[in-house]
Amino acid sequence: MALVNLNDVLSFTGNEEDSAFDDAKSSCMNFETSLNFKLPTFSIQNLSDVSDIATAPVDFLKQQMSNENNSRIAIKKGTTTLAFVFQGGVIIAVDSRATGGAYIADGGVKKVIEINPYLLGTMAGGAADCMYWERELGRRCRLYEFREKERITVSAASKLLCNIVYGYKGMGLSMGTMVTGWDKTGPGLYYVDSDGQRLKSDLFSVGSGSTYAYGVLDSLYDYNMSVEDAIELGTRAIYHAGHRDAYSGNTVNVYHMKKTGWEFIYNKDINELHYKYAAEAKPSTLS
Amino acid sequence: MALKFELPKSGFNFDNYNRNLILESKGLKSPKTIKTGTTIVGCVYKDGIVLGADTRATNGPIVADKNCEKIHYLAPNMYCCGAGTAADTEFTTNLISSKLELHRLATNRQSRVVTAMTMLKQMLFRYQGNIGAALVLGGYDVTGPHLYTIAPHGSTDKLPYVTMGSGSLAAMTIFENGWKKDMSREEAIEIVKDAIESGIFNDLGSGSNVDVVVITKDKTEVLRNYKRPNERVKKEQSYKYPRGTTAVLKTSIRNFVDVTEGVATPMDLS
Amino acid sequence: MPYDPHPNHEGFLNSVGSPIQHRFNPHTDNGGTTLAIAGKDFCLVAGDTRQSEGYSINTRYAPKVHELSNGSVLATSGMYADSVNLVLNIETRLEWYKHKHNKTMSATASAQMLMTVLYQKRFFPYYVFNILGGVDEKGEGCVFSYDPVGCYRRETYQAHGSSAALIQPFLDNQCGAKHQNIKEELLTLDQAMKITKDAFASATERDIYTGDYLEIFVIKKSGVTKHKFDLKKD
Repeated sequence: MALVNLNDVLSFTGNEEDSAFDDAKSSCMNFETSLNFKLPTFSIQNLSDVSDIATAPVDFLKQQMSNENNSRIAIKKGTTTLAFVFQGGVIIAVDSRATGGAYIADGGVKKVIEINPYLLGTMAGGAADCMYWERELGRRCRLYEFREKERITVSAASKLLCNIVYGYKGMGLSMGTMVTGWDKTGPGLYYVDSDGQRLKSDLFSVGSGSTYAYGVLDSLYDYNMSVEDAIELGTRAIYHAGHRDAYSGNTVNVYHMKKTGWEFIYNKDINELHYKYAAEAKPSTLS
Repeated sequence: MALKFELPKSGFNFDNYNRNLILESKGLKSPKTIKTGTTIVGCVYKDGIVLGADTRATNGPIVADKNCEKIHYLAPNMYCCGAGTAADTEFTTNLISSKLELHRLATNRQSRVVTAMTMLKQMLFRYQGNIGAALVLGGYDVTGPHLYTIAPHGSTDKLPYVTMGSGSLAAMTIFENGWKKDMSREEAIEIVKDAIESGIFNDLGSGSNVDVVVITKDKTEVLRNYKRPNERVKKEQSYKYPRGTTAVLKTSIRNFVDVTEGVATPMDLS
Repeated sequence: MPYDPHPNHEGFLNSVGSPIQHRFNPHTDNGGTTLAIAGKDFCLVAGDTRQSEGYSINTRYAPKVHELSNGSVLATSGMYADSVNLVLNIETRLEWYKHKHNKTMSATASAQMLMTVLYQKRFFPYYVFNILGGVDEKGEGCVFSYDPVGCYRRETYQAHGSSAALIQPFLDNQCGAKHQNIKEELLTLDQAMKITKDAFASATERDIYTGDYLEIFVIKKSGVTKHKFDLKKD
């Protein structure tokens, strides 16, 4: 490690104003490194000044995580997640597979992140990125509640997340998430990704299996459907994605966002669903 | 009538070479060949030659074969240890072995080690190292005992003790430390065994057992698995599955024979 | 052409003819395998002790499984230097926590802390695959499995490292009752020990980076016990 100039360190912080920074400093004296918990920062090695290893941090990370590098750092990827708004609230359904190349690293991942009792986030892309920043989002939403004496809107929460990841744009973060919740304006559903994109819609599907899920969703979705039908639709869409996409599968997790907050519906094995659906009579496509 | 499809002539076929180059440049990974990350050695003693090899074949970090044979037959008075790409060592020694046999039949004389060595090096040099065979050749002919190494590019060495493969450095330490001129048969086998074991334990590409071949003026002994220093330990428990472990999804029994109730009619034997 | 004692023909087969870019690569894989199994009132964490690089063994005894001061056990595989640094970092934080709050950190809290520690180095990661084993507040065994940048999950069993792809399917079958027409149940300590020993003996047969010695830590509410066994050394 003698090659790396340890003194030359670049610091990156989120888009925080000075007042918020001071506020953060004073309100979090619980820990020696309190500021790191309050406003996480990252030390990024500046490698570019060492001429024979000319490597910018972003470039460096990309190389570290590439398939060509034999000692690469596997980041869990490959997913199908979906969420849609209907008359009874929001249904969130996800698969549970994590892959590293062709290897199924984990078959029981929780891809719905419970931010707080009224907010859920989904996980697609880099699992650690989603997990860490949505936890951080939960903390900031709690601080917002203390400050404003009311719950944060889904719109504001999703924008908070969007602003955080936009601060790291181009540096290799990878996340495609749906932030859902119920606030004073009713049910909310936003899509946020690591490019800094933030979209609002009634129906989203994210991940490598999303095309399969969209196929099922678009043909069967109806705003006025019952809660039971909506749960079934979410399950079915994830099942079909899990069946056709090698990088998705294992189990389906379904959540229902209601006025009273989210409710975990169930976890079902895709293998068992396969035999259940196989036994059903196939609908005629010409009727 | 001419054949529409002609069988290829003998030798390598380069038809897909250019196509594969283009595919590789577009990111396709060519399949990995099995390498015998190996320790092979040979040593001269008073009455002849002792050759030795480990028995591990690897495919990347995975052991592909725990007890493979790396000492190949060339002629009754000659054996050849192979390291490198498993298929290359196998086919190269096979080819030369067959040529030697024909040569013996044509000349009615015992094959000479130098003949085999020259044939091997000329072949390997022609292919510019693309045949990944690193060999230790040992034999006893009318001119006495001979021991050679042949590198993949065709260069050769003639020495009283030689090592090859990924465990060559570990094995060489044993020879450098203990080799003597005019050793007895027992001493020579012992030092070869020690050299191979040094490779087995210190080189991750080598492992399992020690194979030894002893070649003297009028006798060749193949001591397969001369030493087995790496026996597997007994399992802690049995992993036999009880009946009914595998779920039965559906059962379908078909009747290929019609069974009818009633009086039996005698078989028609006309 | 100089004689190459390690015949590696990839160099010659790099026939595309494009220039090869060389760059500084700070990460290396030192091989080795780790495993953890959670039980009703215990947690078992195991790892082999071989440390290697390429085809060479650096040492036959470099413990990958570390007992932490709060009574949990951290199994690390991947790059050894990073894991030593990580354990030092964790131990420092555990010490600070103890002085600050006058109590030792719980296993579940240290699991969350480990995630933060790993993610802090998101842009220059610790090249370490962690498994944290301990006993939770209810006295039940807990296993937490991590990726190098901090994504973690509580599991009942997990294998990491060079033999993960060999051992994990075996654990899925034996601990998770996968592909068996039986109900999944937590293992007893005796069962877990037998399965662990067999898993490592079998992994040693086929994975060149696993071997030498096996260290098994058993964590109970009453404390941690350590067992050491031989593995094959070839």
